[in-house]
Amino acid sequence: MLTMLEEVVLLAVDERNGGLRSTREYSTAYGLVGAVFFDLALAGKIDTDTEEVQIIDTTPTGNATLDRVLAHMAARPHLKTVTAWIEEIFHERSDLEGEALASLIASGIIRHEKSKLLWIIDVERFPLVDNKPQQHVRLRLAQAILSDEIPETRDIMLVSIAEPCGLLPFVLSDDTIALRRTRIQLLSTLETISRKVSDAIINLESALRQSMTRVV
Amino acid sequence: MIQLTEETKAGWCVVSVRGRADAESAEQLETALRAAVEHNSRVAADLSHLDYVSSAGLRAFIQTARAAESRQGEFAICSPTPSVRRVFDMSGLHQILKIQGGLPC
Repeated sequence: MLTMLEEVVLLAVDERNGGLRSTREYSTAYGLVGAVFFDLALAGKIDTDTEEVQIIDTTPTGNATLDRVLAHMAARPHLKTVTAWIEEIFHERSDLEGEALASLIASGIIRHEKSKLLWIIDVERFPLVDNKPQQHVRLRLAQAILSDEIPETRDIMLVSIAEPCGLLPFVLSDDTIALRRTRIQLLSTLETISRKVSDAIINLESALRQSMTRVV
Repeated sequence: MIQLTEETKAGWCVVSVRGRADAESAEQLETALRAAVEHNSRVAADLSHLDYVSSAGLRAFIQTARAAESRQGEFAICSPTPSVRRVFDMSGLHQILKIQGGLPC
């Protein structure tokens, strides 16, 4: 089974040409941190309440990315809140996307292609080798949003991370997203981790707007 | 630490949940609630003695409601303490779960 991080990154792969799609660079970085925390929660390593995160078990999961983040968390027990940890991992600037892509390549789901644009600019692409895993993730995401039934835990998490990462327009039309906005918002607020990811994105966008205003 | 007891009252299977619903107890909680939902068409979780609920605990309640929904059964969250009610409200769970002040029976 893919991790949440791998599923979110796989959603960002353009199925037509292997390009990486994202509409919101900083939001995606925060979203990927949220996906790692969801993976750790699903593995029974951490738990959260409305504000704080608790480390439950520090034994390794076997996934290098998750174990690195878990070890980092265990080494800094003074950081207590979900928000503080999202900011900590975000500012660490680790290449979560690159690590997930490497794992997807190793699993034979995508391959890595490098080329030159105008003989100078490096262009990286990740064409699908096996399109079934991405179709499966897209289908689960669409079903969770279009249905009125209660989704599985993983699908709630998937919606709540795909939304701030700006990935929903690659699965559903703008009209459908507008029509199901209430449902998307509901699913996006069920989990503390995704609420805090959204808060972090709003705070960052606000800070960026203020700094732009000062520059102008 | 969680304590679960089950009794039948006026056609409802009432599962009383005491203690803490967190990562340590979530699996036990979900297993008990889902078993109740599988064997009864109407299940109420009495949370009047639940002191704490974490995200893992909330997921147990959500997935039980999902199981009840798929069987066309009823699953109600009853008498949550103010602190637990606050967590349900903050999560927006009141929009997908049936939460009521007292037991339905």
